[in-house]
Amino acid sequence: MNARTLPLQRLEAEALRLAHGRTPVIDGLDLALPPGRVTAIVGPNGCGKSTLLAGLARLHAPDGGAVLLDGGDIRKLPARELARRMALLPQEASAPEGLTVRDLIRFGRQPHQGWLSQWSADDQRAVEEALAAAGLQALAERPLEALSGGQRQRAWIAMTIAQQTPLLLLDEPTSALDLGHQLEVFELVRRLAAAGRTLALVLHDLASACRYADHLVAMREGRIMAQGAPAEVVTEALVRELYDVACTLLHDPVTGTPILTDLRRLSPGR
Amino acid sequence: METQRLRGQSAAAGQDSQGDSQPPSGYWHLTAGRASLLLERRALAVNLLLLALLLAASAAYLMAGSIPVSASELIRALAGDGEVVTAFVIHDLRLPRLAAAWLTGAAFAVAGCLMQTLARNRLATPGIIGIDNGATAFAVASVVGLGVSLAPPAMALTGAATAAAITFGLASGGDTRGYRFIVAGIGIGIGAVFGAITQLLLARVPIDTANAAYPWTVGTLNARSGSAVGVLALGLAVGLPLALALGRSLSLMRFSDAVAAGLGVRLRRRRAQVLVLSVLLTALAVAVAGPVGMVGLIGPEIARSLSSSRGVPLAASALAGALVMVLADLAGRVLLAPIELPVGIVTAIVGGPWLLWILLRPASRRLS
Repeated sequence: MNARTLPLQRLEAEALRLAHGRTPVIDGLDLALPPGRVTAIVGPNGCGKSTLLAGLARLHAPDGGAVLLDGGDIRKLPARELARRMALLPQEASAPEGLTVRDLIRFGRQPHQGWLSQWSADDQRAVEEALAAAGLQALAERPLEALSGGQRQRAWIAMTIAQQTPLLLLDEPTSALDLGHQLEVFELVRRLAAAGRTLALVLHDLASACRYADHLVAMREGRIMAQGAPAEVVTEALVRELYDVACTLLHDPVTGTPILTDLRRLSPGR
Repeated sequence: METQRLRGQSAAAGQDSQGDSQPPSGYWHLTAGRASLLLERRALAVNLLLLALLLAASAAYLMAGSIPVSASELIRALAGDGEVVTAFVIHDLRLPRLAAAWLTGAAFAVAGCLMQTLARNRLATPGIIGIDNGATAFAVASVVGLGVSLAPPAMALTGAATAAAITFGLASGGDTRGYRFIVAGIGIGIGAVFGAITQLLLARVPIDTANAAYPWTVGTLNARSGSAVGVLALGLAVGLPLALALGRSLSLMRFSDAVAAGLGVRLRRRRAQVLVLSVLLTALAVAVAGPVGMVGLIGPEIARSLSSSRGVPLAASALAGALVMVLADLAGRVLLAPIELPVGIVTAIVGGPWLLWILLRPASRRLS
């Protein structure tokens, strides 16, 4: 993986305000992604976590505040330049039918290519590295439709890897996957972070966020309730605050990460 | 020792240079200086095949008709000698009409391919903006003499522009989803209004006048004007390279919006460019041949079914559209001779069942 040569990039939100139409979703949020780490953004449905990720990726224009990449407003960056510094895997990623895994990954090179530079040794190396990083060499010539859910998700992530960006934003990369396939994706995420990339994941599942993230951002109603290392941040009080759920917090005897048990809903009417 | 190290270094350096990269399988890699192009073998084969078919169909087009021309006579006439009558039939009657068929077919099909990619719907054509009906209504108004002095082709162009302007105007009154309103059918309403105007105009004039306006309601290459063909040729000479230049963005626009944006496509700008180009090509083609919108469905569909899904087959769409137009007009001229079937009717007769077949085909082969 070429990531050791990737410069670390700081992505920050400053007093960020995002709205859907006239409904404010996020109102004045400050956030900095720790470079070279995996940040998980968690919270109940509708808390604005996916909107926040879209805002960070410039898919959603802010109503106020700014998203800064190494101190510069991302709205001022040309689209292709941004795509060379930050890759995004949205939740509903769809591709034209009939593409093979390798075809899909090649599209990740588009921000580095142009009409008169359609293919280079760098492109070739990036595609091969992405295939290797995602463990997809044996499936490279398979059509996407012929893959399992986990394999397909790894192919999409491989496309963003081939983009060779220091920053990678993934929106619920495991939400439609079964347990084994979720682990495939999380292990890939850890390998990418180990190679020096900065990752932000929106996650549904608090337990896997605790297990695989270095930094946890807990959101509710568009605000950050707590952030920090999962072992320090996740408390019984926080779970109650986020989800209106009472629980008993244990620590995993194997990994030391927090586990929630004895879950009870507190106020069913809410 | 020293030479060995140097050799090792140069080998390592060579691996980094562009020339040593292997193209993806199925592609040729053309390099010249720092420029580097990928050429998909399948796309080249498809385009050559379509071109060969188009040339064969064009030869048949020139030979068949009320005055049959043999192959050897055709070659002589094209070379500039042979009988005067044959030369007249070829040069003054059939070649201009063939040229009009090529140009309109290519324009309709490229416009259709652009619109289908934009709407992510293989059944979308620029007709859904209502420009076909707008062009028809204005051209018919001109023929039936509604106090407007422009010639029918110019009126058709004006009508297409008017319908497009109304649609865009209404859509931009909405918010950023403007283009969705357009592709989702504001144009259907506009088209219905213009369709009604056409019917009203035809109902209020004597039957002979209505008959004269009839070609503009179905689409034909018989009523074309030389200047409209010239304008279309110019439009294609500019529009086709522009469409090809949009090709890389277009192939990403087939992905979901967030994926395309994440890969650096400026969606809003690109959509506007694609939409304008599609409308422009259609308007120019409609001014020549009237509403033959079905070619905008059939041409790209043929191109897509032959091509891989790695890119958007714009060139193949242009060739396939020209081929369909030539074959349809040929069939219209010879099948019921001496009666001539307008090309718009032939494409509708063939295109209707074709559309049904697309709709009833298993979903696994759909575009999006």
